Amino acid sequence: MGKYILKRVAISILTLFVLITVVFVLVRLMPGDPITGEKITPEIRANLEAYYGLDKPLPVQYITYVKNLFQGNFGYSMKYTNRTVNEIIASSFPYSVDLGLRALALSISLGLVFGILAARYRGKKLDFICIVVAILGTSIPDFIMGALLQYFFGIQWGLLPVAQYLGLEYTILPSVALGFYTLAMVSRMMRASMLEVVSQDYIKTARSDGISNFRVVWKHQIRNAIMPVVTVLGPVVASTLTGTFVIESIFAIPGMGKFYVESVQNLDYTLVLGMTVFFGGFLILANLIVDILYGIIDPRIRLAGK
Amino acid sequence: MKKAKRLAALLLAGLMAVSCAACSTPGEKQTTAAGTEAGGNASAETVSGSETGGEKIFRYSIATDVTTLDPQKCNETIAATIAYHMFEGLTRSVGGEVQPGIAESWDVSEDGLVYTFHLRDAKWSDGEPVTAEQFVYGMRRIVDPEVASTFAFIAKPLLNAEEITAGEMAVEELGVKAIDEKTLECTLAFPAPYFLQVLSMSQFYPTREDYVTQYGADFAANGDKNVYNGPFVLKEWRQNDRIILEKNENYWDAENVHLDGAEIIVVADDNTALAMYEQGELDYVLVPTDLIPNYPDAEFAYSGACDFIRLNTGSGPLANKNFRLALEYGLNRSEFITLSTNGYWEAATRFVLPLVGGVSKTYGEEFPYEAFPAEGDQELAKQYLQTALQELGFNDPSEITLDLMTTDDERTKKEAEVLQALLQDALGININISLVPRAERLSREDTGDYEMVVSGIMPDYPDPISFLESWETDSPYNHMSYSNAEYDALLEKAYADGNAESRFATLFEAEKTLMEDGAVIPLQYRMDARLLNPNMADVSYYFCGYTINFVHADKNV
Repeated sequence: MGKYILKRVAISILTLFVLITVVFVLVRLMPGDPITGEKITPEIRANLEAYYGLDKPLPVQYITYVKNLFQGNFGYSMKYTNRTVNEIIASSFPYSVDLGLRALALSISLGLVFGILAARYRGKKLDFICIVVAILGTSIPDFIMGALLQYFFGIQWGLLPVAQYLGLEYTILPSVALGFYTLAMVSRMMRASMLEVVSQDYIKTARSDGISNFRVVWKHQIRNAIMPVVTVLGPVVASTLTGTFVIESIFAIPGMGKFYVESVQNLDYTLVLGMTVFFGGFLILANLIVDILYGIIDPRIRLAGK
Repeated sequence: MKKAKRLAALLLAGLMAVSCAACSTPGEKQTTAAGTEAGGNASAETVSGSETGGEKIFRYSIATDVTTLDPQKCNETIAATIAYHMFEGLTRSVGGEVQPGIAESWDVSEDGLVYTFHLRDAKWSDGEPVTAEQFVYGMRRIVDPEVASTFAFIAKPLLNAEEITAGEMAVEELGVKAIDEKTLECTLAFPAPYFLQVLSMSQFYPTREDYVTQYGADFAANGDKNVYNGPFVLKEWRQNDRIILEKNENYWDAENVHLDGAEIIVVADDNTALAMYEQGELDYVLVPTDLIPNYPDAEFAYSGACDFIRLNTGSGPLANKNFRLALEYGLNRSEFITLSTNGYWEAATRFVLPLVGGVSKTYGEEFPYEAFPAEGDQELAKQYLQTALQELGFNDPSEITLDLMTTDDERTKKEAEVLQALLQDALGININISLVPRAERLSREDTGDYEMVVSGIMPDYPDPISFLESWETDSPYNHMSYSNAEYDALLEKAYADGNAESRFATLFEAEKTLMEDGAVIPLQYRMDARLLNPNMADVSYYFCGYTINFVHADKNV
């Protein structure tokens, strides 16, 4: 077991290292220059380049960067000149995580309920409503959904604030907008899976045993039907947590997504790298934990590696 | 395997439960923290979005967070606007009119080269007196190569400024010195009539050496990392979220400051900002151009930004003056404005924004000029084109293909497409559009790696020279190998001229020379459509140095 974990950790570190190197090279290959200004004189430019170490050969810059990284130092942003990348991440990441988790909690729980109800009342009105919701959710892009929610709930009906992230009532619209796609997907999958399970022999057996309807659905049908949904949740969690940019922008939420996109546009080398390494590290860590958990749960997986 | 999946499901359910239980947003937490830190006073309510306790808070939005609030390093109008409200320079420019600031009065020497300022008794927000020495320190920071401010060029009028930035002289050689604690003397390199205007800008604000030394690279990074001598203090700067200003009780003119504070909120999406205005969460907003028809009450004004096409005159057909003039006259600017912004922006028929200051009125009023008719002049364009074709050795205009570079966002892309269609139709030449990211556009302009590029300019100070200085042969910002000895001579003459009337006449000559050379193609002056909460009073706007002025504003709550 120890060997399996060690191997997983080694692979994760290697992946992270490859990621750092590739991004470091790619960001430098992008045309343009992080130091911009309409009337910047050559002397000032040279001084700024020296300040950020951009005047040194690329390999030297790379070694310096990796060295600093090992000390947990991402360096100063080149655009937000008196902010360190560490500060930017520390202040913006909590917003993105908060929004992402809310959206996930909402979409997964409601998605499951909708799916189950739709399957239970197949062909009835409720099923039809669930199908409509699912189609809307998968076909309307999140920025349109966000704007529609803002318009109706915010401006037309005046029920909820249209933007910012200052308290519970502020979180509802962005969470719904972000989670709507996942909600639709989960409910569709759950419905299909429920209908597949319902014709299985063990359900028929259970019914012929005279077990109550509620018990059959709850204990046998749902429990079995939920499995395929659980399998896709991993990637869904990852895509929701990293895909908050558009929603953050529409709802004026100071999360990480906005910084990430902006940093690429501004060619803010340190910020692009810092954010990528952080996000990458986050996902790699999540995968590592899942891998290790699977290894603990299922001996076949850890043995297969031997 | 089934067991494994069940366990995983259980774990996930647990995770969801935890996330639900922890239902307080990061914003909320920060609010409470701020409240506790400040001794649990009313500060928490300042950020709650709704009006409480009759507090007069002015709220408006900015599209992206400011990059720095270090006065000497401010390099964008939104930051300058905020700095204008946190600090005060020797003078305060209000709508282009110079008013006394920290300097109560000043004397100017006969030749216009030596300014002596007499400072009033003013205090910083921490109670320390504002002294002449702090102004000297601030001005030295502008040009100090160690500080490396991207706005170092702004100090050009001060004696030795350019030499110091270039590293050829010590920073102490700068033409500014403290005679005593309340008297400051500035020596200029050339009589710059706009010098008093420039002193109102953020780069020239006094700066406290003790704070710079203490915080180093983190100087001015947040409210407690600097002190303030203006109408408001920076209470908190939450990155990418909001900047919170609070009235400065130590400001010398605090009795005429009526607002309790201001909140500048980062809202990336302009439609969202408009929705927030509709909901009463913002007091001031700019209407996105495509929504202007819905807001007939919006107030229109020049934003100060001017767009133009930079022509790389170094080689190819664009090196030919007649060809450039064919482009200038062939372009129907009225049509361009109608097609790209529904005619809400204004066609530019000259290069210098007419709104900048003149001798006593605006430059545009004193020197009216239409370099090229807004509708273009197709007859004249054809003549220039014919001559150019002969000189260049082409038989047909279709043999000429030009590359037009522009930034890859929606608005500029549309503009480029309109330009392409108009110029191709008018002259029969071919135009290719290259869409590039903004950073790439700027760096390619810098290195001259383009044929034509849609570029923009904002005046740094309200004087024609802010528009004209870039086209001198040896200007580091020329970017287009434009060189005309006559033009250079006119600018040198204007720099040396202490007489306002003859100086402006010379600058006008220079502008005409630039236009008659067809060096750049002026396109448009951008307009803002503004909405202001009717409960706000005494808010004003300007196109240079700041966009909005709420120093003496009041709010009816």
